[in-house]
Amino acid sequence: MAVLNFTLSEEGVSSLRDALTCVSKFSDEVSLEAKKDKVSKRPADNEAGITTKYRLPFELTPPVHGKFDRNEASNHWSIRSRSLRQIMDYFGPGIEYLDFHSEDDETVNFTCFTEKVKNGEEVLKKPLHTSIAVERGEFEDFDVHEDQLHIVISVKDFRAIIQHANFLGSQIFAFYSLPTKPLQLKYEGDGIKCEFLLMTVGERGAPGQKAKKNRGGAKGPKPPQLEAATSRAASHAPTPVPRVPPQPQATRPDPVPSLRPSIIRPSQRPPPATFESESLFVPQDDEHQWDPVNLGEDEEEENARLEWDIRGDFHAPATNARSMMTNRNTQESTSNNATEDDLPHLEPTQRLSQVRKFGLFDD
Amino acid sequence: MRFRSDLKNTRTFSKLVAALSSLEKIAWLRLDDDTVRFTVIPDTGSQVWASFSMDFIFNNYAIQSAEPNNTINLELPLSPLQRALKSALSGSSALIRLTKKDGIPVLSMTITTSTKEPQGAARQGGIGANPGAGNHRGNYDDDEDGVFAHEPLETNLRREREKIVTQDIPVRVLHPDTVETIMQPKIRDPDVHIQLPPLLQLKAISDRFTKLAIAARASTSTNAAAASAVSSSSYSPKLELSANMHGGLRLRLDTDSLNVESRWSGLENPELDPAQLECALEDHPSTRFREEGPNKWATVRVDGKDWSKVLSVGRLEGRVIACFADDHALIMYVYVPQYDETGGEDSVVTYYVSSYSA
Repeated sequence: MAVLNFTLSEEGVSSLRDALTCVSKFSDEVSLEAKKDKVSKRPADNEAGITTKYRLPFELTPPVHGKFDRNEASNHWSIRSRSLRQIMDYFGPGIEYLDFHSEDDETVNFTCFTEKVKNGEEVLKKPLHTSIAVERGEFEDFDVHEDQLHIVISVKDFRAIIQHANFLGSQIFAFYSLPTKPLQLKYEGDGIKCEFLLMTVGERGAPGQKAKKNRGGAKGPKPPQLEAATSRAASHAPTPVPRVPPQPQATRPDPVPSLRPSIIRPSQRPPPATFESESLFVPQDDEHQWDPVNLGEDEEEENARLEWDIRGDFHAPATNARSMMTNRNTQESTSNNATEDDLPHLEPTQRLSQVRKFGLFDD
Repeated sequence: MRFRSDLKNTRTFSKLVAALSSLEKIAWLRLDDDTVRFTVIPDTGSQVWASFSMDFIFNNYAIQSAEPNNTINLELPLSPLQRALKSALSGSSALIRLTKKDGIPVLSMTITTSTKEPQGAARQGGIGANPGAGNHRGNYDDDEDGVFAHEPLETNLRREREKIVTQDIPVRVLHPDTVETIMQPKIRDPDVHIQLPPLLQLKAISDRFTKLAIAARASTSTNAAAASAVSSSSYSPKLELSANMHGGLRLRLDTDSLNVESRWSGLENPELDPAQLECALEDHPSTRFREEGPNKWATVRVDGKDWSKVLSVGRLEGRVIACFADDHALIMYVYVPQYDETGGEDSVVTYYVSSYSA
């Protein structure tokens, strides 16, 4: 039986983890292959410390590789991962596919769409439809033989790849031929080389045509995931219906028709910032501070934080009923000696001269 | 039916949409020659009527329909709109128009943007400038180690590249008959009107009270499972909100085991303009409340969770006047600041806050 021993450097651990994070978005299982002649040895540091052992279940399988004929893939382009990520950032949630094609000599178009069938009532649940025209100059090179050659891939997969490539700050290379033929994405950096093989969808808009795909990143048998990708729970979106407003309780015979308060027009200045600048409760400049009060999943955490907040606790006994009672009991029993207690202590207020001896103030 | 316009005041527009979308997913948008109005009416909870002059968010607009005043009524989902506006924020210009794509009416936003290419370490693209929220590890961008350090030098010197981003928001065109029945609530003259303290503070304290109420309820229950059950989303405590005509505001939580209260004083009760009153000033209910002194409170009860969503409007940084009809209703008027001074008269967001009797 083959034996594989290897040591990862610190950087190796982190880049392997990043790679696994990416690959795990494609499959739960990952195949490791090692080739002897490719492994360069590095001495392990002999550092004292804690040793932790992990045993991971695995099975030996013959490696499965996606098939890709680079000679067939006559179209290619390359672009900085950061540019691609900026493009992808414009797309909203809930989309399934990305279509890219060159519009003309000047522009390349990226469009996201979804194939989920929506009937008339659900039109408003359709995700935001985004398309982006990018100048060819944004690409390092762009060599595609046919304009309007629509290549359609899964957004979920693409996002995972872009994200990983972006960590490495690398250039991404794409090689492909025609729709329904595989597309290869490559990038490298920091001692790691990545190749992904994505199946492209044929004609957009043909519902039955869900291509299965091979993935170079995660080898081994996989379910075709294009169908499963991005199954978002349909959000409840009721249509506004006329709601009867709370009616006045006849305290006045007829409600006044004016809806505005008859207030002399207030100035347009924002309210005074006196309190805001020293708010004790929430961090400033945080958009989340306007989020509705969160009483959801992380309730326990919130409550735990609510209980007794030691950090700002200058009056400890008063904030905690339990300890207040404890204190009262002990004070009762010791109240007789309390006055005779002549240890130095500070009254709530005193003269400056009295406290100078504590060295709290400059002379 | 036609509508197209350049967008302006995108930041305020975006904040407004964010505030509205905390209450409901879908809004009714009404456009006409002069006014743009957003209305949000959730099944339960507070409703909002936000009315602006067209000039406030639109520039060089053209609107046309068969209805009087070229009125167009649309129903549109707020979160795609918010997303599209986020793209617009990072762009240099944005155009919006009503059109049809694949047979579906859409509000199509065309944003011209350019990629910022900072010299040297390519870090300043920045979270703020990026339109995206989908970056699970966005912090990598700001990594001091410079994760882009391996980029070839010449890519950092590339000139800014323009991108044209098109964001299509699905909409439904509403028939005039459909919207005719939707009426803005009518409320009697308020007993107390008062300018609220900074909403950030009011919200922080209100949210804390709401959480306290839930924690108190959970801790009085002996059974741990039952405790977690009551703290689930089904339970929402009611907060008591009171104001007087002497600058006082009171927020109170009263439960079986717990009673907490925050008080504000020295707030402003704006003067009423007699010219706009239906009755004589001395007959106005607020006059009676003022005369009866600082112990005369007008009180309403609000739902803690709903109130938190309402207070989300604080992000607009407007002056907020709350109008209390004692034991009956609470209306909030948010006067949206118009720093460019070109906007029209009426930029006010009106909240009809859901209120409950004791």
